This record gives sequence, C-alpha cells and structure tokens, in this order.
Amino acid sequence: MLILTRKLGESIAIGDDIKITFLEMTGKQLRIGIEAPRNVSVHRAEIYQAIQEQNVQASASDIRIADIWEKLTQR
Amino acid sequence: MEIDTTRFGKIRIKESELIGMRGRILGFENHKRFVLLTAEENTPLWWLQSVDDPAIAFVVINPRIVKPDYAPAISEGDLELLDIQRTEEIALLSIVTVRSAPVRATANLRAPILINTAKRWAKQVILDDSDYPIQHDILGNKADFKIGLSAKEPLGGNRPDRVHPSSPAAG
Repeated sequence: MLILTRKLGESIAIGDDIKITFLEMTGKQLRIGIEAPRNVSVHRAEIYQAIQEQNVQASASDIRIADIWEKLTQR
Repeated sequence: MEIDTTRFGKIRIKESELIGMRGRILGFENHKRFVLLTAEENTPLWWLQSVDDPAIAFVVINPRIVKPDYAPAISEGDLELLDIQRTEEIALLSIVTVRSAPVRATANLRAPILINTAKRWAKQVILDDSDYPIQHDILGNKADFKIGLSAKEPLGGNRPDRVHPSSPAAG
C-alpha cells in the first residue's frame, strides 16, 4: 500500500481523472471530497463487504420456492 | 447443453438461455454464466443458477413486487458496461435471502442484478441511493405486495426461462 501524508485542503490524484481532496478533520472523522468520472463508482468500502456477506447468505438459501411463496402470500 | 445443479439435478438448456456476468456478483467473481430457473409457474420467485458451479443458486424476485415504487437510478457506468441503450432492455432482479428458523425473507434492494435483456448480460450493481436496504424485510412488508405482477417473467418477452418439472420445488 502506498502511504502518503497530506495536509487538509491538499489532494491526491489517481490516474488522470480521479482527485481526492482532504477537506476537514473533526476528532477522528475525516471529510474527503472525491472527483471522478461518472462511470466510476464510488462507495464506502463497508458496503462491498455487507453486500458480499448478504450474497453468501443468500446462496445458502435451501428452501422450496413454494414454501417461501406460501409464507409471502399468507394474509 | 446439459448442466449439473445440486438442487434440480441435470438440466438441458439452450446456450441462448445463458445469462453472462459482465460484472461480478460480489463474492462470486468466478461465476460468469447463469440461467434462470423456476419450478413454480405461479410464483414470481426464480432461481438464478450458476452454470459454473452446481451448488450455487440465488433466489431472485422482481423487486417491484416487494417494493412497488422501486425506481432506482442506474449509473451511466453500469449502463455502458452492459451496453444498455434503451430502458426496455433493462431488467432488475433482487437477490432474496431466506432463513428458516425463524422464517425470515429479505430482498437486497441496494444491490440488484441488472440485466440487459437483449444481450443477456448482467452484473450486480451497487446503487448510490442508500434508502434502498440490503435487507428489505419481505414478510414484514407484505401489505405492499403487488401479486398481480407475479405472472410476469423476469426477462419478459419470449419465455427465455424455464419451468423444470423434476426440481425439488415442484414437490
């Protein structure tokens, strides 16, 4: 991992199109601004982990569709 | 071609029925080919079965059935990756997680499977809109159900998906 030290207000560039600016530090919280092309997806990393875990759980669903559907349509 | 599945045994499918993953299903990066299966004519739930691993299949549902006002913005990058030109080419499926004890079913509305129905290319997208949860409680929101949508096939049109009579779900 490349490790850089930056001051608030300074930026780093990733490739030609992506710029990350370190805006504000409040206690342990860091606000950053990200400029990237619209076709680059930017998400908090936790969301990838959460979705991956959900996918793994979902792939373990071993149930008859009819049983799920019966539960869903019971009023 | 014939494929092996853990849940449904051996199944014959046409290559034209394959759905190719252009992006990844997170955690299942090696699975590049899927097929949609169901054993139940009258439910809107389908299995998205991996062709590359007999054991891997996801229960999927049209998210509008569990969340009728579902209208997420799809990013340009995702549309480009799947070469989607027109909205009619878009299909969305939510992965459903089912737990048996206690019975709980959730739909992942935050990371639906986006499909180009013309090319049969797909990827799992991550929506920017954090109002759509990863675990949308289906049973707890049953009142929202649009059962009338249930007869619709996920990819619409000329029945690209199959009913497989020998599957366990056919009972």
